[in-house]
Amino acid sequence: MKLKEGYLLRDMLGMGVVVSVSAETQLEGVITLNDTGIFLWKQLEQGDTTPEALTAALTAAYEVDEQTARQDVAAFLSKAREAGLLAE
Amino acid sequence: MALYSFCGLTVEMDPQFPLLLERSAPYLVPSEKADICLAPASGYLERLGETYPKLGADWLEYMWHSSAFYRFLLRFDGIMLHSSAVVVDDRAYLFSAPPGTGKSTHTAGWLRLFGDRAFILNDDKPALRFFDGRLYACGTPFTGTSPLGRNARVPVQGICVLERGEENRILPLTAREALPRIYTQTIFRLSRPLMERMLTTLEAVLNAVPIFLMQCTIGEAACRMAWETMKESEDDAT
Repeated sequence: MKLKEGYLLRDMLGMGVVVSVSAETQLEGVITLNDTGIFLWKQLEQGDTTPEALTAALTAAYEVDEQTARQDVAAFLSKAREAGLLAE
Repeated sequence: MALYSFCGLTVEMDPQFPLLLERSAPYLVPSEKADICLAPASGYLERLGETYPKLGADWLEYMWHSSAFYRFLLRFDGIMLHSSAVVVDDRAYLFSAPPGTGKSTHTAGWLRLFGDRAFILNDDKPALRFFDGRLYACGTPFTGTSPLGRNARVPVQGICVLERGEENRILPLTAREALPRIYTQTIFRLSRPLMERMLTTLEAVLNAVPIFLMQCTIGEAACRMAWETMKESEDDAT
């Protein structure tokens, strides 16, 4: 699972804002990300990964228990999938 | 080639057809060095005509220059906002919404309400640009299907996102709340470097002026409500 090409993540108004910079993508508006979302986005930008690896990265970087981290990752991936951002 | 001045920029164009010639005429200036040169590649407008067979040559020329100018504007830290901009007492009020919502109908109501105190700065695509740290709305020759526009530069009092509603209500939006609604009313199909630049300008715009969301019916009551909410309060003026 990885991010498709053609998106830009930018810090704006104190949040993460994802927009399309390619005619190939479907995204027409903005997606906003909180700190956890920004962290997970940057993990995905590193290349192919799994929900398990993202959860492990989140618990390593933040003081968060594994169950919460797993839920955060699932919520993030569901939002990203819905917006068509992921190549499975 | 002729030179025109708007948004604080000198723009070189060579209009061939009546639509662009007429709408750009009020912006003509004596010859000087251009900041922006708008010249479609040879044969480009004819090829564009094959994609949009219903549009005549004058509209193809006009739309190409409009689109090209607003893309260039991003490089000068300006931004187009799809909106109808009405000026009252030297302050610009911008009403933004997708086509068909009733932006122009709403601002036409302001003209009836305020008479000689009001005019339409640009009925469809005003340019926004900072001068000395203050946000201004600028008239341009590019006013969409509407002919209404004026060669002027006016401080922005506020931006209002318009929605049709059963009753009239208006509420302030935070910059974060406003972002998704304003983003879709400007040019957002951009390459990475221009997108970076556009978002920087957009963030500054969202932080510079009050932004509102209004749901309204058509009529004078909605115009009065918007004016009462958006105008400079007497406390601000002192």
